[in-house]
Amino acid sequence: MSSNTNQNVDIHDEVNYNPVVWVPKAHSHGTSDIWKKFWILLFLTIIDVAFYFLMPPSMARNIIFIALGIIKAIYIVGTFMHMKHEKLGLASMIVLPMFFIIFFLVWMMYEGNFWGTI
Amino acid sequence: MSTQTISKTSTWGGGNSPFNVSYGKLMMWVFLLSDAFTFSSLLIGYGAIRYSYPSTELAQIESLELGFAENVQEKFAAPGVDAHHGEHFIPALQDLGVFNETQWPSPDLVFNHFPFAHGLHLPLIFVSLMTLILILSSVTMVLGVEAGQRGDQKAVSKWMLLTIIGGFMFLGCQAWEWTNFITAGARMWANPYGPPAFAALFFGVTGFHGFHVFSGVVLNIIVYVNNLKGTYAKRGHYEMVEKVGLYWHFVDLVWVFVFTFFYLI
Repeated sequence: MSSNTNQNVDIHDEVNYNPVVWVPKAHSHGTSDIWKKFWILLFLTIIDVAFYFLMPPSMARNIIFIALGIIKAIYIVGTFMHMKHEKLGLASMIVLPMFFIIFFLVWMMYEGNFWGTI
Repeated sequence: MSTQTISKTSTWGGGNSPFNVSYGKLMMWVFLLSDAFTFSSLLIGYGAIRYSYPSTELAQIESLELGFAENVQEKFAAPGVDAHHGEHFIPALQDLGVFNETQWPSPDLVFNHFPFAHGLHLPLIFVSLMTLILILSSVTMVLGVEAGQRGDQKAVSKWMLLTIIGGFMFLGCQAWEWTNFITAGARMWANPYGPPAFAALFFGVTGFHGFHVFSGVVLNIIVYVNNLKGTYAKRGHYEMVEKVGLYWHFVDLVWVFVFTFFYLI
């Protein structure tokens, strides 16, 4: 039996069940997309640095930085971590809980303003 | 073949992989989600404590009239004192009240060092370099994963080696950054720039991230050696490269947010 396929494995056979490691066949999506995303990430980082030096600190600037961070995260997770080629179920299992985290992060940053004042 | 009949009629009925990924890769994703929670808790704690202090007033920073790449050690040294020895910038700003325990220091005035440019005011430049190194090592990693998908053993070796070098470069940068911060007098419980919580959070979060980078480099070295030995060629697939790649990209992803929250905001 080939070690990387489960086509002939009967999982209901409790006596002769052979737990092989099943791995789906890998497909390459080429390198052009990877390099494109690298240039985008580099460009976004340069935009970060430009805003840092050209715009005085303010809440608007913070929001720009966080938005750019989230855009960078989308490219890293989507392309580098291959998430855009995964099934929707897997992608939502990982991404949806993070929405609650972002909500909590903003909530606690706001909450911190009142610590020590009441 | 009753199992295959079941799998065709029901996604979750067993006998197939509903997400079309291997067990190992699925568990790597679950681990990364839990690790993301851990880092989020650190960043949430940072956000709350950061905003429980007032920010340094913009007028206060502007009154210092710091020029880009200006030698701040010479500028703030007392008259008649040798500016090339000892620290003059931090005590001067403490005397001016810019660095004090009641307000959060501006990252502009804290992370303004660069190797071989002693005393020069170069905010953000060194961290931007660290960010570039980590993004580049992420790219070499994903190119290694792509080579593995094609079954190209030699190309996997080449890209893994470059990724390991990138990891060590990043760790070296972070060691330099920590040395600088500690030499200035920062500890887990003390901070010459302002509230001690600033230093504690800096060491906690960048230390936690740095340890992840270190673990990633160790995992990359293991995969590199296994690939040289032909383990994956024999196995018929290079999925271990993909799984370790997922971890490495996660470390890069966390850095994007550490960079945003600690150095930009």
